[in-house]
Amino acid sequence: MQRSRVLGVGLVLLLLTLVLSACGAVPVPQDWPGLTVDGDSVYVSTGVPRQVYILNAETGVQEGTFAPPTDSSGIIYWSPVTLGDGIAFVGIAEEQAGTAHLYAFDPATGQEHWRVPARNLILAAPTYAADGSEHPSGIVYFADTAGWVYAVDVETGSVLPGWPFQAEEAVWAAPLVVDDMVYVASMDHHVYALDTVTGAEIWSTSVGGAIAASPVFAEADRILYVGAFDGRVHPLRTDSGELVSGFDFRADNWIWSEPLLADDVLHVTSLDGRLYTLDRATGAVVPPYPYDSAEITNAADSIRAAPADAGDAVIIATESGRVAAVSNAQRLWTWPSGLPEAQIYTTPVVAGDLVYVVLMNGQVQALNVETGAPVWTFTPPEPG
Amino acid sequence: MGITDIWTVIILRPMLNALLWLYQVLGGQFWLAIIIFTVIVRTLMTPFMLPQQRSAKRMQELQPRLQELQKKYANDREKLAQEQMRLYKEVGFNPLGGCLPMLLQFPIWIGLYQSIIQALGHQPLQLLNLSQNIYAFMSGIWTAIPLNRYFLGMDLSLTPQQVGGLAFALPVLVAFTSWLQARMTTSTTPGGGEGQAASMNQSMTLMMPLMFGFFSLNFSNGLSFYFVVSNIIGIITQGFISGWEGLLFWRNLSLSSILGGGRANKTPSRSTAAQAEVSADGSGKGSTSERKKRKKKRRRKR
Repeated sequence: MQRSRVLGVGLVLLLLTLVLSACGAVPVPQDWPGLTVDGDSVYVSTGVPRQVYILNAETGVQEGTFAPPTDSSGIIYWSPVTLGDGIAFVGIAEEQAGTAHLYAFDPATGQEHWRVPARNLILAAPTYAADGSEHPSGIVYFADTAGWVYAVDVETGSVLPGWPFQAEEAVWAAPLVVDDMVYVASMDHHVYALDTVTGAEIWSTSVGGAIAASPVFAEADRILYVGAFDGRVHPLRTDSGELVSGFDFRADNWIWSEPLLADDVLHVTSLDGRLYTLDRATGAVVPPYPYDSAEITNAADSIRAAPADAGDAVIIATESGRVAAVSNAQRLWTWPSGLPEAQIYTTPVVAGDLVYVVLMNGQVQALNVETGAPVWTFTPPEPG
Repeated sequence: MGITDIWTVIILRPMLNALLWLYQVLGGQFWLAIIIFTVIVRTLMTPFMLPQQRSAKRMQELQPRLQELQKKYANDREKLAQEQMRLYKEVGFNPLGGCLPMLLQFPIWIGLYQSIIQALGHQPLQLLNLSQNIYAFMSGIWTAIPLNRYFLGMDLSLTPQQVGGLAFALPVLVAFTSWLQARMTTSTTPGGGEGQAASMNQSMTLMMPLMFGFFSLNFSNGLSFYFVVSNIIGIITQGFISGWEGLLFWRNLSLSSILGGGRANKTPSRSTAAQAEVSADGSGKGSTSERKKRKKKRRRKR
């Protein structure tokens, strides 16, 4: 009797250990699917299921896949796909194996060209830049969550001398290449300007908040605009990194996405659930904005995804899984009409007459940009 | 509003924001914020924890009498249960008295755990979650995101297995302080390793620390940090309630003492001596009545 009770206590403790271990382990790193539209193809990269799906942009029919050559059954993290010089680039990290690589593959055949190791997860899309002189096939830039920024010769798959550059914190934003500079926004609150070839730091500026999205470049006055976790949009001069004075805007929550520059105004989404349209010189909200996405369901919502330009309207995708076209702070259409199937954190892409969105469950939806009517749906097969 | 929302509004958000506020006030040191936050929470919970600790001590004091009853009614479980209840009633002890405070503490522990995990978040979806739980008046913390999660070069958001090296000291510290705390609670148990309760105590004294040590291997270092601080506070509180003898673990250290606080049956502590007095006549009434007689005598003398 005594022995059985002791055994019982032991078993209960063991069970408790297993249960608490399961729910108490450090939350695994998580991100959202990547969505890229290039010409006739849509590229969807997601860890569940573990494939890059290449779909026909018009029909949604699957035309190809790319998967890393691994036997690992652990979680795999993918960056969005970038295309350049006829090659597709994607960052893939295998948590169980503790490895991360930038892969270059043929988008037509899925055949791997080369891979370059990274020190941590690659969450941001790689950036391709053509460079006619020393690197005839161009250079691809990518960053990892340890803060390292790499420049790779596309032809050879080798990291350029002088690279990688290290920021103090993770880089979640795709590098932006303008002329002979690479602009990198980091979670360490800084924007770095680096020489495209040597990787030398030209300037760096702290904006006062973590930056999770790429800067947007305004060519007219050569200003970079970045949204940050301090809820503000910060304009910086590209030549010196100096913050432009007289610009003042603050949202009611973090700004996680890149601003959209269209018709000489800035469209900005915030985790406060609003779409703001700002005067580019002063940061003043242009009436009748802001548009509050809570209006869709009369419930508070949040917007992580950046706004997408659809000509007369701006497309937004909310955390609750709703897509809406907004013009003059008025909602033109909403998708879906019923309850959403999953959350949306990925920025929608507008190409031609269609708006493409990818949900957190990996489902891809193409909508008519004028009406929001569904055109096709791609549901990835169940894993296993 | 669902149960999850109620939990978030009532428990998680207040604790998370308090932790973030401490982080701001303490110069952006998350490890320091965990320590101060744990001390504050434990202090606020003292009124709930003291009855539990006192109840545990009371239960230990009753062990000799319970063991006698177990021997006496070994073949009659129904009678044994009746007699045990009679004994509890007689001395005014509620066997469930320690459970309710313990249950009340659970939401606090879980909330504290979630707060630490959420504040340490540094991956996209974790930070999205964090952004939705920060109070509007705490917007000053926005500029400190992501929080400084390092202590002596160790990332508090990762597990010891991910960090390696010095980080493996944390699970050991967690297990050791848990064992010490459990030992202090059981060190006053008379009779050492006799009876079912004593056997269960022995199992708990060993299993619980091992369990927490195992948790810590898989938990973030920040949470292990919290466990260590919390255990130290528990040890200090227990010391004030039942004496500090349990801290001298190296005295008569043997495998059996590690497994079940066996020192107590070799070196009677202050409380075991008191319990011996309680159990002198097998009923405990003798010692109480003797005390009363002594008091009466003193009064007469005056």
